[in-house]
Amino acid sequence: MLRGFALVAAVAFLCRHFLSEEEDVILQPGKSTVMSWIRERELSFIERLTANILKAGPMPKHVAFIMDGNRRFAQKAHVQRQEGHSQGFEKLAETLRLCLNLGIHEVTVYAFSIENFKRSKEEVDGLMELARQKFSRLLTEHENLERHGVCIRVLGDLTLLPIDLQQLIAKAVVATKAHNKCFLNVCFAYTSRHEIANAVKEMAWGVEQGLIKPSDVSEVLLGECLYSSNSPNPDLLIRTSGEVRLSDFLLWQTSYSCLVFQSVLWPEYSFWNLCEAVLQYQLSYRSLQKAGDLHREGQALQQMEADRCCVAELLQHRGNGKPMDAQSRQKELLNYTASREERVHCFLNALQHKRDTVFSDLSSQAVVA
Amino acid sequence: MFPRMRLHKYTWIKIIVKKLKYLQMDPKIPFQEIQQFLYAFHILKLKLQKGQVIIYQFIQQKRNNSRLMEGILKQQQELLGMDSSKYSVEFMKNGTDKQEHQVLSCQSVVKVLSPDDGRLSIVQAAQQLCRAVELKEKTSKDINVTVLDSLLRESKNIPDPDLVLKFGPVESTLGFLPWHIRLTEIISMPSHVDVSYDDLFGALQRYAMCDQRLGK
Repeated sequence: MLRGFALVAAVAFLCRHFLSEEEDVILQPGKSTVMSWIRERELSFIERLTANILKAGPMPKHVAFIMDGNRRFAQKAHVQRQEGHSQGFEKLAETLRLCLNLGIHEVTVYAFSIENFKRSKEEVDGLMELARQKFSRLLTEHENLERHGVCIRVLGDLTLLPIDLQQLIAKAVVATKAHNKCFLNVCFAYTSRHEIANAVKEMAWGVEQGLIKPSDVSEVLLGECLYSSNSPNPDLLIRTSGEVRLSDFLLWQTSYSCLVFQSVLWPEYSFWNLCEAVLQYQLSYRSLQKAGDLHREGQALQQMEADRCCVAELLQHRGNGKPMDAQSRQKELLNYTASREERVHCFLNALQHKRDTVFSDLSSQAVVA
Repeated sequence: MFPRMRLHKYTWIKIIVKKLKYLQMDPKIPFQEIQQFLYAFHILKLKLQKGQVIIYQFIQQKRNNSRLMEGILKQQQELLGMDSSKYSVEFMKNGTDKQEHQVLSCQSVVKVLSPDDGRLSIVQAAQQLCRAVELKEKTSKDINVTVLDSLLRESKNIPDPDLVLKFGPVESTLGFLPWHIRLTEIISMPSHVDVSYDDLFGALQRYAMCDQRLGK
C-alpha cells in the first residue's frame, strides 16, 4: 500500500512539474521583483516536490492568519518587543510568497485588534510607527505592485488610527485597487463584532435612505455589508503560538472554514507549518464542502420563504377579497423577488460608492514625504 | 483532590455533536450516546461550582425536536435519579427562549442549539433594528456593538461560553454561535462516543492552562 501511494505521489509530482503552466506566473525570478511586502523566496527541491504533491488535492483559495507570538518570540530570542513585531512583519512577507507558490492568491491577516489599543502607549506607538514605515515603503513600490497585480485592502475601523496613518493606508488601498492577481487583506483596528455591528448599521442606513426595506435584511445581505464583502470566505484559518481561540477575528466569515491551531510562534513560521495546515484542510475538505452546501441550500430556502411571506402580506393589503390562483401567485412571487434583488443591488452599489469615497478623500489629503 | 482550576463563576461547556449521520437525514437520534455523555458530565459537574451544558446539533432541516427533548428528559430521570431535578433541558427555538419545563433548582442547564441560533439570530436582531429605524424610533448612528449585543442577549439568554469542547474529526465550528465565541477556547476531542470522565477532565485542565491576555 505504501508503494502504491509513493507511485501515485511520484506521478502527481511529475505531472504537475512538467505539465503545469500556472507555476510562478505571479513572481518571475530573474526580473527585478524586490518588494518589501512579498519576499523573494525560492523553494528548495524538496519544498517544490511537497508543494506539487499537495496541489494534487483540493487547495484553499483564501487563507486567513492570526499572526500570534511576536512578543513571546522576542522574549525567547532576548530581543526587544519591537524587534519581535518587525520579525513578524518579515515573516508575513515570506509567508505571502509561500502562499503564492502554493497557488493561494488571497490572504487575510490579523495585524492589529481594537483590543490591542489597551497595550502600553510605548508598544502601541511602536506598532503604529511600524505600520507607517511599511505602508510608506509600499507606496514607493507601486510599479512592482502593478506588475504583479497585488491588491491591498485594509479592513477595520480606520477612524481609530492617527490621521496620517489613515491617509497612508488610503493611498495604498486606492493605488492598488484595480489590481487583481493576488489579494492581501490586512485587518487593522479590527474586531469581528465591530465589523458585524457596522454591517447592521450600514443596512439601517440603507433603510434610512429608502434604498432597502427591513424585510430585505438577510444572512446573505449582511455578509455583503461586511468589510470583507469583496472577498470570498476564507477556506482555512491558521492561528499560531498555540492559542486555541478566535479572538474576535472573522467570526462570521469562518463559520464553515477549516480551523487550524499550530503551536509554532509566528516569527518562526515555516513552509512546513503551512503545508501541515493545508493538509489539515484537505482532510476536512469533504465534510466542510457538504456542510457549506447544506448551509447555502438552507439560506436559499429561507430567502424564498421570506419572499413568500412578503408577497402574501402585500397581496393581503392590496387584496380585494378574491383569492388568487396559483399561477398568478407564482408570478407575483417572481416579480417581488426580482424587485428585491434590484433594490439590494442598488443599495450595495451605493454602499460601495460611500466606502470608496472615504478612501479617495483620505488619499487625496495625504502628502507623501 | 482536584487541582485548583481557574474557572469562571459560570462555566459554560458547549458540546458540538458533529455527526455526519445527521446530514444524511438519519432519523435515529443516539440517545444512548447523549446519555453516556451526560453521565460522564454529571460526575464532573459534582466537582464544578456551577455549570451549564449546551449541546449543539448540526442539523439543518427542521427536526421533530420534541422527540429529542423527551428522550433527553427520560435519560435524565433514569441516570440521575434524585439529582435529575437539578438539571433543566431547553431547546432554543427561533428567537423565543420559552422555558419548556419547570426548573426546580436550576444548578445546571442543558440547552440544545442548531445552526439557526447562530447567524440567523444576528439577522433577526438586525431586522428588528432596521424596523425601528424605519419607524424613526432609532437612527442608523445609534447602532453599535453594545446595542446589538444587548438585543441578542434579550432574545436568547446565552452567556459567552468560556470553553467549547468539539467532538469529531471536522476542524470547524460549523456555524456555532459566531457572535458569542469571540474569546472562547476551542478544544478538540476525537469523539463523543464512549467519552470518559478522564477525557473531559483532561480537557478542562488544558482549559485551565490557557492564558487570556485580552488584547493586552
